Amino acid sequence: MIDILSRFGTSLLIGQFPHGPLGGIALTVVMSAVALLCAFPFAVGVAMARTSPIAAVRRLAAVYVYFVRGVPLLLLIFWAYFVVPLVTGVGTSATVTVICALVAYEGAYLGEAIRGALEALPRGQVEASRSLGLGYWSTSTYVVLPQVLVSCLPSMVNQFIILVKDTSLASLVGVHELTFSANQINAQLLTQPLEVYALLAAAYFVLCFALSRLSQFLESKIARIRSGSTGSAAVVAIAEAI
Amino acid sequence: MIQFSGVEKRYGGYLALRGIDGEVARSEVVVLCGPSGSGKSTLIRTVNRLEAIDKGTIKVEGVDVRDECQNRLRARIGFVFQQFNLFPHISALRNVTLAPVLLGKWPKREARERALHLLNRVGLGSLADRYPSQLSGGQQQRVAIARALAMEPPVMLFDEPTSALDPEMVGEVLAVMKGLARDGMTMVCVTHEMGFAREVADKVWFMAEGKVLERASPTEFFTAPSHPRTRNFLAAIRAA
Amino acid sequence: MTFAILEQADIWRLFATGLRLTAELFVFAAILGFGFGAALTALRQSNRWAAPLVIGFVEYHRNVPSLVQLLVWYFAVPQVLPAILRGWIEQNLDGFVFAIVALSLNAAAYISEDLRSGFRTLPKGQFEATEALGLSRFQALRLVLLPQAVRACFPALVSQTLSLFKATTLAMAIGVGELMYVARRIDGQTYATFAAFLVPTIMYLCCTLAIMFGGERMQRRLVATGADSR
Repeated sequence: MIDILSRFGTSLLIGQFPHGPLGGIALTVVMSAVALLCAFPFAVGVAMARTSPIAAVRRLAAVYVYFVRGVPLLLLIFWAYFVVPLVTGVGTSATVTVICALVAYEGAYLGEAIRGALEALPRGQVEASRSLGLGYWSTSTYVVLPQVLVSCLPSMVNQFIILVKDTSLASLVGVHELTFSANQINAQLLTQPLEVYALLAAAYFVLCFALSRLSQFLESKIARIRSGSTGSAAVVAIAEAI
Repeated sequence: MIQFSGVEKRYGGYLALRGIDGEVARSEVVVLCGPSGSGKSTLIRTVNRLEAIDKGTIKVEGVDVRDECQNRLRARIGFVFQQFNLFPHISALRNVTLAPVLLGKWPKREARERALHLLNRVGLGSLADRYPSQLSGGQQQRVAIARALAMEPPVMLFDEPTSALDPEMVGEVLAVMKGLARDGMTMVCVTHEMGFAREVADKVWFMAEGKVLERASPTEFFTAPSHPRTRNFLAAIRAA
Repeated sequence: MTFAILEQADIWRLFATGLRLTAELFVFAAILGFGFGAALTALRQSNRWAAPLVIGFVEYHRNVPSLVQLLVWYFAVPQVLPAILRGWIEQNLDGFVFAIVALSLNAAAYISEDLRSGFRTLPKGQFEATEALGLSRFQALRLVLLPQAVRACFPALVSQTLSLFKATTLAMAIGVGELMYVARRIDGQTYATFAAFLVPTIMYLCCTLAIMFGGERMQRRLVATGADSR
């Protein structure tokens, strides 16, 4: 296992970078992060549409969410290969295509998480804001979302973990991320599948396990801020950072 | 100032308001009381359209509430909730400045000063930069009153403003409300504080089962109630 | 965009085989997954020594992508087995069996966690009441505790079932000819991408929506008949 690491360590970590395209763990993390960042505003939109005062908007958003939840991600990725060039008019790389599919996918899942937090916000908050004469958009921007998005922070980290795992599907369409690199190394060595795949599983495990600890930490921190009276400034700091 | 005529409100098959008529004059303080489920909260929530009505009309300063833009209507009606409903993620001061700044009523430069003036009026100028969770219930409700006053509404509606408070904090909130009444604010208060009603109200409306059964001056109301339901209600309150 | 291929009976026969394999993967993995998941919960609850092993098992399956778990079973695990066994496996087992093993173990890890949190919602009085009635531990579990725990975590179990169904697509990575594999092959051979993916999309949606709405209906029925008002 040590010799595999010494021979292929850098390629597992960053692919051929900087002499060639980025790959390995670095590409896995970058793809996940980009997908999450792009999915976030989209998910907020989906969540707001799901709770919209306009029935048609609510229904449309529900159809979207049920569609995405009902279709395997792999199928969504294949659809992206077909649809993205049609929409954008240009051929895109496999990496970008997979990111597009992940954004569509996360828009629904993260959107549902945000919707849950939206619905958990006491009704009085919206009523108080509307009673002051603030409209729907002002109320959403200044009263509802700053509160809701802070409570969504742990589930954002959880969605990031899910994304890191889901990017492994990109290996099936030829993106040189971590799983693809491992498959390549396995094909090259032929005789050491146990070592290669144990290494691959361990890499994901360390990454995701660390992230899940981070999510638990955030959750307890937010719970503490909520219950105590000392840390409200921190909530605001986080809210304003978002 | 506020005129109700034939107001009806229905929740599914249940008639919450059954034909309310009445008028609140300028600078008048009206206390709405009655047993729970009598429709008092529903009635004041219809004034700023937190609840839509099914029949009848409500006019505020002569304008039908349904003819006016909802946000403009609400901007000129102050509303104070039982649960305060302060925004927990911003300071007391920002709670006060949020709406007037966003709606262009206050220039941003003057916002802090004006909000401090209002917070001083409710006795909380020194706590302006605290967050709601760092304030007691009574203090939160006073901030909520200052927040409602910031829009300079000619009318203030109070929906059981002291019911969620510990007994020792009721007084400070009532004192602020008394001050408002003295300054000539038009007020409609749903409350169980009969002392407040006796001292401050110009009229007491007694509601039961979605109707206003009795309308009287406080002296009349507490000494010589005409409706048997009112007598029962007062007896029950005194016994408690 | 051409639908001409959908006029060929062969194409439909391919889709049908794919759908059948998908269904088989799902049914076998679901039965094994639920059974094994329940066993894991019981093991963790009853045996102090087993608990850390169960935790390790669950954490592995939660923090490693399902696809990687599948690859580990298919490529790496036969490697550790004695040569004779390995020879037999290569002769007799194909990706289908490995896919079922990987998918069911993955599902079992998640299901055991859901069941455990279902049990944790039970008030302590329920355990004590069964003891007071003189029920044996197994009777208590079967008659009183399990039905309540399942009720408490039912929505989570439905969503695990849904995930498992969608995860059957991963089996194409080790050459199992399920629906996704078939769709890709048809796409590659005919270049009628739209039609090749539209048909399986509809097939998948029919199944997943049936799971989702069926789950919601059963959930409503459970709530309606449930003695607990939680």
